[in-house]
Amino acid sequence: MTGKQRKQVWNAVQLTLIMIATFIMLVPIVWIFLAAFKTHVDVYQLKLFFTPTLENFSTVFDDPYRLGEKLFNSTIVALVTVIFAIPIATCAAYSFSRFRLRGETTMLVMILATQFVPAVVIILPFFVMFRDVGLLDTRLGLILVNLAIVMPFAIWMIKGFIDGIPMDTEEAAMVDGSSRLQVIWNIVLPMAAPGLLTAAIFCFIIAWNEFLFALILTNKNAVTLPIGLALFKGEEGDLWNLLSAAGIIIMAPMFVLALLIRKYFVQGMTMGAVR
Amino acid sequence: MRDNTLKYVLVLPAVLVVFATAIWPLMESARLSATVGRLNRPGSLDQYIGLENYTWAFFEEPSFWNSVWVTGVYTLLTVGLTTLLALGLALLLAPGGRLRSGVQTLLILPFAMSPALIGVSFRFMFNPEFGLFDAFFGVVMPPLADVSWLADPTLAFAVCVMADVWGWIPFLTLVLIGGLASIPQDTIEAAQVDGASGWRVFRDITLPQLGPVLAVVIILKSIFSLKTFDQIFMLTNGGPGTATQTLSHYIYFNGMKYGQIGYAASVAWLMVIPMILLTYLYAKYVFRKN
Amino acid sequence: MAEVILKNLSKRWGDFVGVDNQSLDIHDKEFLVLLGPSGCGKTTTMRMIAGLEEPTSGEIWIGERQVNDDLPKDRDVAMVFQNYGLYPHMTIFDNIAYPLKVRGTPKAEIRPRVERAAAQVELTQFLDRKPKALSGGQRQRVALARAIVRTPKVFLMDEPLSNLDAKLRVTMRAELKHLSRELKVTTVYVTHDQIEAMTLADRVAVMKHGIIQQLGTPDEIYNDPANLFVAGFIGSPAMNLVRGRIEGGQFLTEDGVKLSPIASEDRSEVVLGVRADDINVHEAGEGDIDAPIYAFENTGEASFLTVEWGDQRVIARGDRHLRKDQDDVVGLSLNPDHLYLFDPNTEKRIRL
Repeated sequence: MTGKQRKQVWNAVQLTLIMIATFIMLVPIVWIFLAAFKTHVDVYQLKLFFTPTLENFSTVFDDPYRLGEKLFNSTIVALVTVIFAIPIATCAAYSFSRFRLRGETTMLVMILATQFVPAVVIILPFFVMFRDVGLLDTRLGLILVNLAIVMPFAIWMIKGFIDGIPMDTEEAAMVDGSSRLQVIWNIVLPMAAPGLLTAAIFCFIIAWNEFLFALILTNKNAVTLPIGLALFKGEEGDLWNLLSAAGIIIMAPMFVLALLIRKYFVQGMTMGAVR
Repeated sequence: MRDNTLKYVLVLPAVLVVFATAIWPLMESARLSATVGRLNRPGSLDQYIGLENYTWAFFEEPSFWNSVWVTGVYTLLTVGLTTLLALGLALLLAPGGRLRSGVQTLLILPFAMSPALIGVSFRFMFNPEFGLFDAFFGVVMPPLADVSWLADPTLAFAVCVMADVWGWIPFLTLVLIGGLASIPQDTIEAAQVDGASGWRVFRDITLPQLGPVLAVVIILKSIFSLKTFDQIFMLTNGGPGTATQTLSHYIYFNGMKYGQIGYAASVAWLMVIPMILLTYLYAKYVFRKN
Repeated sequence: MAEVILKNLSKRWGDFVGVDNQSLDIHDKEFLVLLGPSGCGKTTTMRMIAGLEEPTSGEIWIGERQVNDDLPKDRDVAMVFQNYGLYPHMTIFDNIAYPLKVRGTPKAEIRPRVERAAAQVELTQFLDRKPKALSGGQRQRVALARAIVRTPKVFLMDEPLSNLDAKLRVTMRAELKHLSRELKVTTVYVTHDQIEAMTLADRVAVMKHGIIQQLGTPDEIYNDPANLFVAGFIGSPAMNLVRGRIEGGQFLTEDGVKLSPIASEDRSEVVLGVRADDINVHEAGEGDIDAPIYAFENTGEASFLTVEWGDQRVIARGDRHLRKDQDDVVGLSLNPDHLYLFDPNTEKRIRL
């Protein structure tokens, strides 16, 4: 074989592998997607062609499933978590980025470390405390613990964005007559705005997908979407068509959000260890 | 306000939040681990018994060691498989171009999927009657045709590993593509001009320069593998029996289902120890970068 | 309008000394250039004047006021940054208007003043654009306009031309000079480029290792260097510095080549400084000393000959029509009126 032929064969091999990988990646998602539009009967057969129905989507919102309530809970919890987390994280990130603080490295490592502590460790004391103060099964309780998982990501991610703003610009504003707070408000925030939005979306996705805290802390009123999946275990087994419809409701908005910020996902998840 | 005051004022809220939502519960867990700690027995949360919970786990509870074993094997397999496959996929996708960047974009999808949902979808895929993967394996490997995957301890474990690997490959691939992109192209071109084959270029030039990113990926994935809970809970709920009961699941069961919160806290703290080690390693990479 | 006075100013980071106990009077309306290689403390000095860096010790006075404890915004200075420090999310108009707005200038006053500043730097037609849409030179002008839109007590310029390409740098240098003569505001200008320093400055302060080596007019710095560092730093090509000794009114290089008569007592260790311009090139045998050519370079406007005296190389400037080749031998003679002697141990100038 000539070098050119070998190259062509090698290219074909690569393309085949890529197609296989893509196929494996998409199949479970597509399968859920299809199942969500299948009838109760069709879903229990390996059918690729069927008459689609939207019935599952209305069923999940009706009694006894009432997925609407879970959707509402998930939205409120994720949204309020982000609304608290981002401003707090932004202040801290600015300070970490621009000043030398006493114990700065220690603080940053601690913040990093809290992300890596198993969630079960954190949730046990919270369960006991919430039981005592009546925060079990409340959205407020969930929001509080969700801050725990979201904050480290938010701080590290926003710090990364602020690190990228040239110091020159801020110093120019200071010489031009701004106080430090004016600099933050007039210069840093507008320049970091896309980064803040990215971090907010990232945190929203994390809070939305959060499972363990909601599993332990809620049982009726504050149940979120991922926990709501357990509703579709009927006496005769899993109701796959309904589970799939609920699954789509959970993942479709996250797909859209994730695609919006896909460039920053890696940086966010690795807390700046990989850019 | 002068900068010297302001800088501490700015970090204060975040430090308080982190303290309240992470440091305090850690300390409180440590305290609980030294108590009788029965949820249904008032006062037992303040009834100290020293290290009894720990010795109980070590010497009286085979199911604890079962979870340690499950978690260990699970971590080794998922970290190894995910890293290798992701590295392969990253090398395939890194050159860019229409098709490849399109696939890169799709990679974000499984990653944005809630792990609980991944568990659900794999249970669906391995349903013995109408699961797609079940049917597929039945065709490829006839001995597996009529097996109920999730009812068999070994196969259930294999499904858990597959689900985990499926869910994490995209993220690791994206990270590694980022790592590959940061390798100076001229070092690779220099090696090619020097006469190295594709494999030699990869082994001598690409891989060593990818080292730090690979280390970050492996540490990060180890941490997440050790913590695994959501998928397992939705996929097998630790079963059949305790064949897929990871430590997180074991802690959850003892603490929440059996109400032995003191005992659960002690096992949880045993889990924190490897985490501290991994975090330390991870922090070294993060700060070297900055 | 004000003078700037630095008294015993120091800046240290741990063991590292950025600026070492320096005092400097910058006169009212003076254009003072801080010149030196990177890491010499020139930028640190300027940043301390701006208030962006806190001195470890010493005093900074602007006009009648000691400003050590003032925030940058209260010092009434304007600064042009190396990377311009433009606000990327604001239009050019808003960029230039920002110092006025943030200081609470009445709205009605802002527009005419911004327009006048923009006109001074020929930016009028770009006011609605964002910095991203501008070329490097135009961004540079925005930074200038933002500085001159107010009348600050002092202008501070931190290597403002260093990010421009060579041709644009020459144009902007002239514009800057024109503008500064027009505005007559005290200016401190930091650069590592000696041509900028020579052309723009009323006075130059040459810095090294946090210490001002020499302070003087461009003429003084060039013609009367105070020490080895200044002699070697100023001028292009740099002054030739030849190690040797003086015996009986003659300078001999280290390896004994007799170079030139010089009016000095005997010294066992000395460095002779002579600029390329002050070495005359003749045919072999016609000068004071013959030397082989190590490299011959023709720049079009002149020719430069690197020759070897023993194992030391010096560079001489020849006529632009001169043509020689490597290894040819030429005769050289030194202009006795422009020879400098330095003590190699103290690095100080030895006055003749």
